[in-house]
Amino acid sequence: MDYNIIQIVLIFAVTFIVAIDQFSFLESLYQPIVTGMVVGLILGDVTTGLIVGGTYQLMTIGNMPVGGAQPPNAVIGGIMAAVLAITLDLEPNAAVGMAVPFSLLGQYGVTLIFTLMSPVMSVADKYANEANPKGIERINYLAMAALGTIFGLVVTLFFIGGDTFGQTIADAIPAWLMGGLSAAGGMMRFVGFAILLKVMISGELWGFYFMGFALAIVVSSIEALASPALIILALVGFGFAFWDFQVHTKIADSAGNVVGGSDGDGI
Amino acid sequence: MATESKEYIIPDEYVDKTPAANLDQKTLNKMVWRSLFLQGSFNYERMQSAGWLYGILPGLEKIHTNKDDLAASMSHNMEFFNTHPFLVNFVMGIVLSMEQNKSEIPSIRAVRVAAMGPLGGIGDALFWFTLVPITAGITANMAIQGNIAAPFIFLIIFNVAQFAVRYILMNWSYKLGIDAIGMLTARAKEFTRAASILGVFVVGVLTCVYGGTSINVIINNGTTFEGTPVTKIVSQADLSQYQSDLYDETGALKADSVVTDLGSSGLAEITYTEYTETPVTIDIQKILNDIMPKIIPLFLTLMIYLLLSKFKWTPIKAISLILVLALVGSGFGLWPTIWP
Repeated sequence: MDYNIIQIVLIFAVTFIVAIDQFSFLESLYQPIVTGMVVGLILGDVTTGLIVGGTYQLMTIGNMPVGGAQPPNAVIGGIMAAVLAITLDLEPNAAVGMAVPFSLLGQYGVTLIFTLMSPVMSVADKYANEANPKGIERINYLAMAALGTIFGLVVTLFFIGGDTFGQTIADAIPAWLMGGLSAAGGMMRFVGFAILLKVMISGELWGFYFMGFALAIVVSSIEALASPALIILALVGFGFAFWDFQVHTKIADSAGNVVGGSDGDGI
Repeated sequence: MATESKEYIIPDEYVDKTPAANLDQKTLNKMVWRSLFLQGSFNYERMQSAGWLYGILPGLEKIHTNKDDLAASMSHNMEFFNTHPFLVNFVMGIVLSMEQNKSEIPSIRAVRVAAMGPLGGIGDALFWFTLVPITAGITANMAIQGNIAAPFIFLIIFNVAQFAVRYILMNWSYKLGIDAIGMLTARAKEFTRAASILGVFVVGVLTCVYGGTSINVIINNGTTFEGTPVTKIVSQADLSQYQSDLYDETGALKADSVVTDLGSSGLAEITYTEYTETPVTIDIQKILNDIMPKIIPLFLTLMIYLLLSKFKWTPIKAISLILVLALVGSGFGLWPTIWP
């Protein structure tokens, strides 16, 4: 397999852009059906790129980033499937299968970035406290650039290193580390919830927190309701809130009348 | 201005309470564009918060000409935020209309939290379960047949839908917010309370729905003998093989055993209890689930809440604690992981 430097640079650039696109920007350029064609164009075999991209796309249709879950990464998987199919002259299905370990690495990369970006939020807080919009903008641009660079480097290394390289790297990362990091990833959102509670809650509202939690257990354990759970629960919450609004406006109105009357009595 | 040593406290009210002028269409369009980068700095702690703030910054800078107010507004908009990336413009419009009116910060916060939650399910249903499967499914088959138009058809359909949704939501919800402001201002106190109730309720819901943390610890606790009734039809000649199953030491039929002679066929139907040794295990997660499902997410949230509010921990410290907990739990390869 001989690649020239232009092809390597182009593969890096494409990966850089679509890695960002998987969460930001158009959120559609990263789909394997698109990357398959682009990789095909770069490596000079558009038809194979299209076929592999389409095959990989069908595999990922049931595997969307729904509700914050991270499926095996379609970005690295889709690009590598096309690269492997064209450079090694593989059957599309074989190439797709071979790309799966690469897609797992992509998932690790995402976990890593999402973990590393958590402490950076304190820096963002500082910029916000100082009313520094440029700082907030910079954090967003840097985070996207970091994601693009990590993905770009990984794919370029594999592109040069070949198919066994992906497996070797994937095997070298200890399972406990990835397991621990993804468990931490699942728990970090509780810090976010706790911050919200700290600023929103006053003593009298705790009941609504537990009510929301308990009703969510009930609704989400009914399989048919699991997917519209948040909407159903928001309606219930709205009911409580609206009722409370009506009661308190009534109280305020009548209290206003009493105060008005007492003024006249000179109390 | 907060000094380095002192923690910044987000105020409840803006200094400049004069409502700002309506945002022009150009600013709204700019925010539609910026909303594409909602997840630019996505992370596990605040999720989309910095991207959300990035999105509404053009509006906030126009609205808050007082620097302290801009700091307050930016600070409360850096709190946890997560909604569906394609529907975020709905939340943007409402929040901006309240910022423009200089509503009280607790009330803006409450509306923001209440609005972001339910959109996730709607957006998933619209985009990931409907639009993408249909367009990508059809165009993937075209691509497999080598049709070079396929990726372009997919991109055009998806993005036309995406931009239409973003643009319409942004303008509609901003107008909606502006129109409702009069009522909200007259009843600001009651409204803030009601919105906080909905907000706190939604955080409770999110603790359960987004809280996936569970443990996988199974403790072996000896073995037990479990009896299962067995019914067989055997030939009379083979009956002796089941001697110990059917009869006790004295030769009497056991209480739960039955032997029925099937007559001339030379067969007998026998029923006896077969005892098998099964290991007894204690599944900690199952015990926890029997107390209450999702008890771990609830416990962790409340624990971190206490650390933040009572012990004045910083979010960074809480994140470090979680990282340590998670890695110790996964065992460094030295002991079995407790994570599923």
